[in-house]
Amino acid sequence: MEMAALAERGVRRAEELGASEAELYVVRERLVRIEGVACGLERVECGEEVTAVARVLVGRRLALQSSVIAVEEDVYRLVEGALRVARASEEDPHWHSLPKTLGKSPTVDLVDPRIAEGEVDHFAEIVSRAVSLPTAIDRRARAVRARVAASRIERAVANSYQSPVSEVSTYFNFSITVKASDERGESTYYGYHEAPTLREFNMEAVVEEATRVAVGTIGAKAVPAGGYQALFMPRFFASLLSSLLVPAVRADLVQRERSPLRGRLYSQVLSGQLTIIDDGCAPNMVGSGAFDEEGVPTRRKVVFDGGVLTTYLYDTYTANIEGRASTGNARRSGGSNVHPDATNIIVLPGTSPLESLVREVRRGLVIYDAIGSWLSNYVSGLMNATITHAYYVENGEVRHPVKGVVISGNVYTILREGLVAVSREVELVSNYLVPAAMVSEVTVASE
Amino acid sequence: MELSMDFCKEVLEEVMRRGVKEALVRAQERVYEVVVFDKGVLRTVGRTRLVGLGIKVVLNGAVGYAYTSSSDPESIGRAIDMAIAAARSLATRARPRAFSLEGAGSGKYRTRYLVDPLSINVEDKIELVRDLNKLSLDLVGLVSAVTRLGAERDRKVVVSSFGAEVEVEVTAVGLSHLAVAKSGDVMERVSDQKTFAGGYEFVRAYDWEAFVREVSELAVKASQARAPPPGVYRAVVDNELVGLLLHEAFGHASEGDHVLHGTSVLSGKVGTPVASELVTIVDEGLVEGGYPLPFDDEGAPKGRTVVLDRGILKGYLHSRSTAGEMGSSPTGNARAQDVTFDTLVRQTNFYMLPGDARVEELFEGLSDGIYLRGRGASGGEVDPSLGTFTFSVGPSYLVRRGEPAELVRGVIVSGSILETLKGVDMVARDLKVTTSVFGGCGKEGQLVRVGDGGPHIRVQRIVVGGI
Repeated sequence: MEMAALAERGVRRAEELGASEAELYVVRERLVRIEGVACGLERVECGEEVTAVARVLVGRRLALQSSVIAVEEDVYRLVEGALRVARASEEDPHWHSLPKTLGKSPTVDLVDPRIAEGEVDHFAEIVSRAVSLPTAIDRRARAVRARVAASRIERAVANSYQSPVSEVSTYFNFSITVKASDERGESTYYGYHEAPTLREFNMEAVVEEATRVAVGTIGAKAVPAGGYQALFMPRFFASLLSSLLVPAVRADLVQRERSPLRGRLYSQVLSGQLTIIDDGCAPNMVGSGAFDEEGVPTRRKVVFDGGVLTTYLYDTYTANIEGRASTGNARRSGGSNVHPDATNIIVLPGTSPLESLVREVRRGLVIYDAIGSWLSNYVSGLMNATITHAYYVENGEVRHPVKGVVISGNVYTILREGLVAVSREVELVSNYLVPAAMVSEVTVASE
Repeated sequence: MELSMDFCKEVLEEVMRRGVKEALVRAQERVYEVVVFDKGVLRTVGRTRLVGLGIKVVLNGAVGYAYTSSSDPESIGRAIDMAIAAARSLATRARPRAFSLEGAGSGKYRTRYLVDPLSINVEDKIELVRDLNKLSLDLVGLVSAVTRLGAERDRKVVVSSFGAEVEVEVTAVGLSHLAVAKSGDVMERVSDQKTFAGGYEFVRAYDWEAFVREVSELAVKASQARAPPPGVYRAVVDNELVGLLLHEAFGHASEGDHVLHGTSVLSGKVGTPVASELVTIVDEGLVEGGYPLPFDDEGAPKGRTVVLDRGILKGYLHSRSTAGEMGSSPTGNARAQDVTFDTLVRQTNFYMLPGDARVEELFEGLSDGIYLRGRGASGGEVDPSLGTFTFSVGPSYLVRRGEPAELVRGVIVSGSILETLKGVDMVARDLKVTTSVFGGCGKEGQLVRVGDGGPHIRVQRIVVGGI
């Protein structure tokens, strides 16, 4: 089954059966996952699956159905089922149309032939080497588990208005959990690399960083409650942007009055040191593709320009409501309808070397990772997270590792008047390319 | 794809004919339907169906797992070959390990229902959700609301070379509501859901208007409330929140794979006191209010596993592989999100047994503290290797002189796995176990449905975030 042709035939069948508009989004994913522990490899999972999602309309009555597809007839059954439901459904008064223009943006570095081949031995070798490294780096450390996931993804979108668009991409994820222990106690840290290709993958560097943080955070303890300066290292900074800022700039949440940034376009929302870009065709980033998930070409847009909010993120539906063009940010998650979301988030680096930022900390926390940041409340802007990996720094010197304290604050205060500086070094954290950010105060609750 | 015991047995026989001594075949079909109204507009009328077959082969301790969504003989043959080839490719680099030979269940389970929720006219569902969404939006102070009706049927067949032959079909239905209120410049959101294992008769019988009204009114009140002062509190935890606390504070750390790999602070602590003697925690397959799973995805029976008995750690949750390596028996806790994954050790319905106290008594000793409520809590996370957990709470109450006195906005709380449950000094008798058809527990990229619960409890110390 060829994906573009399958999508197009599904659309034609829906129209033959009476749909006024139809769209098929089809994905074929072939993947390999390999898992190993310190004393050897354990498991390989592999397989291939085709899924299709149909949006079918009768006038302004929309129905959505998705299914795993084994044979072509499954697509026809899918659109038939969707059409039956659409006829019984209710009109959406805001519905305008499916995207009238599909297309592809030029992209680079989204396909790696080594990943596309799905050669088990190649990836098994990566896992085998990785699990032996931590102890070689530091005798106090050992690998708990390492994993590789590698996929070849073929996707296509067809709708009633244009010829289908399709592309092939690859996906690679390497992760390792390192545990370190000595007479002071234990600590564990998780390192990973996620990208479409192996081009920037340096397994040794990932393992070395995970080992360094695991060893460095042995004996972590709480700090007294109170206010502290904080240096948000890239992984933690990315988690805050993801849980608090990205939802606030989604046009659907803005339009439905669930965003605190509604009505704030062109106002100074964040510090002038923060320029934040959403780029759906950035090379070698997992959020990239030639088109978004409804076939609209992706592009780069500045969301916060020197802290000024310059755009929300739109899909076709939310763009049509405002009479503007989609920004190429349509995403699908689970069985839900298409909605806008970030593709890749790039925060422009600053000018301060990371080392000098640490030296400027008089009494504060250098925060690598936390749990629960996703529980922060994007509607109110209230940040809450429980630190798992941090260092307490006094007068530029690391005093001891920290865990188990809750930090909180209002993200808009913290990243506007509270932002002190942004590092010139950046780090890739999944679909985020971010620097470290120094802030003047966060509140710590502690035992 | 045919989802029958006979079909799966045929596939298993084909696997064994190729020289494999240890294998498992799992077939699954899951259908999920949802109706979503968002701020008065019908946003989704959706149906999702997944179907497939997974084949697991074990060779010298190495696992090869392959899946396919096609049921034709060629596709199945290819999947079998892939599983065998995968296991062989690891065999020289795999570590020797023995899977437990126990845990071979046999039987069928099907959730009973009177009215199939997947057969209800979509117009009826739309009308219900629309009216509830509108009711919420009509309340003063509400600016946005999302109401969802979800129904799911998940059917699995598992057969294995070590004798498992099980069929499990779970039907569940539920409604969730998210209300966003605004008071001045302050916006707050509260969400809650109610899920029943069973049929649409539950939807028809439940007072959803009262449910939606309560969630919405709570959002309005919370938008007018302040965040609690951050700090360490003595807390009463209600029976809608206690399950989330246990799931994060204890459940993940008791999963056998975490223990085996040294990423659980409960490693090596069986037989020792790790909680107050008032605390007994079990993981169970069938319990009222929970997600019914009498067999796991290896076909092992899931009865009642006592993890903690009056404060003493009794054992862990196990799959066949963790049980084999640790010299224990499988506890029916091997589960996978769907056939595209092999199993991990997961919780099922993880809950605390009730005590003797009346709920009012928990407040009598609490002159100054916090009453943590579950309505509006959105989830939690844990690092079981560090022993640190966190979860969100819904709008809660500062307690003064033994009485809930001031509503405060929902924030997160956190604690230490080894310390928090030692500080439980009172356990009430009002057990409640719940599950959700709208989410579940996430681990290593896999989501599974779970249940959790317990009674009201009082804890000595818990860290509460705030500003």
